[in-house]
Amino acid sequence: MTGAQLPVAELRSATKRYPGVIALDEVDFSVMPGEVRAVLGKNGAGKSTLIRLLTGAESADSGEVLLSGKPFVEFGQRRTREAAERGLRAVYQELSLVPSMTIAENMFLGNWPRRRRVLDHRAMAEQAREALRRLGLSLDPRLLTGTLAPAARQMVEIARAFLGVPRLVILDEPTSSLAAAEVDQVCNAVREAAAAGAAVLYVSHRMSEIRRLADTATVMRDGRVASTLSVAGARTLADTATVMRDGRVASTLSVAGARTEDIIQMMLGRVEQARPAHTSAIGKTTLSVEGIAMPPKLRNITFDLHAGEVLGIAGLLGSGRTELLEIVMGLRLPSAGSVRVRDEKIAKPSYKGMMQRGFGYTPESRKEDGIVPLLGVDENIVLTDFSRVTRGGVLSSAAVESAARTVVERLHVKTARLETPIVTLSGGNQQKVVIGRWIHAGSRILLLDEPTRGVDIEAKAQIYDIIRALAAEGRAVLFVSSEIEELDQVCDRVLVLRDGVMAEEHIAPSIDAERLLAACIG
Amino acid sequence: MSVPTVSPRGVAETRRMLAGHMNELGLLAIIVILYGVFGALSPGFLSANNQVNILRDGATIGIAAWAQTLVIVAGEIDISVGPMVAFIAVIMAFLMKVPVPLPFALIGGVVLGLCLGSLAGVLRAIFSVPSFVATLGLWSALRGLALFMTNALPVTFDDNDTLDWIGDNVFGLPVSAVVMVILFGVFVFVSRKTAFGRSVYAVGGNANAAHLCGINVTRIRILVFAISGLMAAITAIMLLARLGSGNAGAASGLEFDVIAAVVVGGTSLSGGRGSMLGTLLGVLTITVIGDGLVLYGINSFVQDVVRGVIIVVAVLLNVAASRRSGRHV
Repeated sequence: MTGAQLPVAELRSATKRYPGVIALDEVDFSVMPGEVRAVLGKNGAGKSTLIRLLTGAESADSGEVLLSGKPFVEFGQRRTREAAERGLRAVYQELSLVPSMTIAENMFLGNWPRRRRVLDHRAMAEQAREALRRLGLSLDPRLLTGTLAPAARQMVEIARAFLGVPRLVILDEPTSSLAAAEVDQVCNAVREAAAAGAAVLYVSHRMSEIRRLADTATVMRDGRVASTLSVAGARTLADTATVMRDGRVASTLSVAGARTEDIIQMMLGRVEQARPAHTSAIGKTTLSVEGIAMPPKLRNITFDLHAGEVLGIAGLLGSGRTELLEIVMGLRLPSAGSVRVRDEKIAKPSYKGMMQRGFGYTPESRKEDGIVPLLGVDENIVLTDFSRVTRGGVLSSAAVESAARTVVERLHVKTARLETPIVTLSGGNQQKVVIGRWIHAGSRILLLDEPTRGVDIEAKAQIYDIIRALAAEGRAVLFVSSEIEELDQVCDRVLVLRDGVMAEEHIAPSIDAERLLAACIG
Repeated sequence: MSVPTVSPRGVAETRRMLAGHMNELGLLAIIVILYGVFGALSPGFLSANNQVNILRDGATIGIAAWAQTLVIVAGEIDISVGPMVAFIAVIMAFLMKVPVPLPFALIGGVVLGLCLGSLAGVLRAIFSVPSFVATLGLWSALRGLALFMTNALPVTFDDNDTLDWIGDNVFGLPVSAVVMVILFGVFVFVSRKTAFGRSVYAVGGNANAAHLCGINVTRIRILVFAISGLMAAITAIMLLARLGSGNAGAASGLEFDVIAAVVVGGTSLSGGRGSMLGTLLGVLTITVIGDGLVLYGINSFVQDVVRGVIIVVAVLLNVAASRRSGRHV
């Protein structure tokens, strides 16, 4: 069985469209046995879609998906099982363990080994133990996963990828909540699997890991492969890079060890976007965060936020951005540090107390924590303060309407009527409502966590304008985002959260997307 | 305008209004059909006397159903209604027997209802006991306690004119039905026009989001159960007046009629959606089915079968209607 090796996984001009976007645009992609391939790209570049095509979770609109040279024979849900049977193992960053089941049961979830139709617990435990051993773990596979610490749970999740004899291992940001020693273990297991002939796709933004692990890297941008290149000293593959533009191969060039700056340049592409006017005058300090700590994610976080200022917080997924906002809002207790609002020191912030001090918070997940889906746009707005629309204890329809109309008109919310259930609106318009309810409440300090996630381009631009307009009125805005370019566009100042500390501060006008991204990935 | 014209906008508006009330219109149709069928089958069904009966039976379900609607819209459930009504009625009967003056006996019952409801609410909201379990516990404990205290015998007391009046008719209508209608108005108002009512919908629709908007979710949850307990007490007063004695076995199975009425009325068991008008029609549907089957003289076991089938069919139609009008998410 010698001769030309077949790629373990291959896409041939695969295209995948979702309503309104082309997630993958005629992408060619292949990975060889024994190769560790890093997949890079910013949010929405098409990484997850590429993975979903390979795992069989989605099928391509056109083009081919081949595993070891053969297309899928099954369709729909059976296809993911077929992929697993053909040696594909995928691990995603979000935890998907069932806490009330054992480690072994979780690792085989839905695909439990059976002997004469009865679950074979012994075989299950043995194989699970072997996979855990590959990650340097000596956990008893009969433990319930619910009893494990978060890092251990993540390791169990990763161990799934090393069950049996994997041919293609896909790890999607596996290390976002792991400490250095555990990251080492994951790297060892990946190299071991590659040495045994498996191909590994490694999605991550941590350049240090990529340099240690990956032979090659694919950089994705706007649903296309921007470039495939070798990392450091190429081990197995030719050290050539394919740069693609407009869905076609533009050039093939030789790279002897890509520099981080080049990779960043390729991830971002050329961004020429108008910056909204920064007209607000920075005023007095409204919020001081002093020495906040929440091990292992946050250590000694200190910064000031001023009236009229848009302060950005940059950092990779899992860098503790959301936790920081939750601590400030009193939704989470820090192990040390305090919050000062204007001149008042707050030892133990409570959410309601922070609201009364003029704070407004829009959470990261709009659907789970933001909207009340079946209530109308109007009621979703006035929810933050009924007292402004109540006359003598009775809700006034006229007051509700005028309060809602003010916000809807000001933020250009597109809705047929004010009482339309918010769930029927587009993501961008929902987000405007979620921000708008704090305008209704008269908040002076706004904490926005990923306000543009899952929002179309036009609405994004409108949200940037809204944020700038809020600052121009003298409100203070703390703006958390994974999208480096928007921090660059909107913020007066950006703090970079890396390895649990405020690693860098960038101040307008010398904020630069490339330098910010470099600061995030370290 | 002298000539009544309907502008295209008016037509669209009307159509939208109708689409938004498919559920209520469907129930209305079901009630009309039930009236037609029962009217044809048993001659006595359409008599004025029977309409009064339907109203009186409806009141027993309805008063508790208004509160249950709020509970279910808030994403919870209260299955303790039947035993709670019986227990409160028994306690009030004991008080009357002592004798405690009627107003104090009734106030005692009302306070007891509020306390028992709040207990369920606190178990749910503060101690995170699922509301089904918390009220199941109450269901069993209150039924047992009432039977134990009375030895399963009716608790009798001296006649009381005021209580007799409550059990009787006013202007040809049962007092309990009048109370039900007044309370219906109150609940429509509370659910639509007060911050509390809208907060109930917000908590049931998305408790996380409601909390992040500053709504006191714990308080809302305790309050809906307290209100449910209060309505159980009022139902107990009506029952006491009608029976003239406290009976531990009374109102057995009431919780199922109440929950069935709310669900048939289009309130979603997953919370966040429902209306008092729907529940009113649901109560009518359930009562008319019960009354009609009794009049027709069907075997009482078969009655339960027919009722079960009609409830499921009504909810099926309901779900289909809301899917069609695009409200099903």
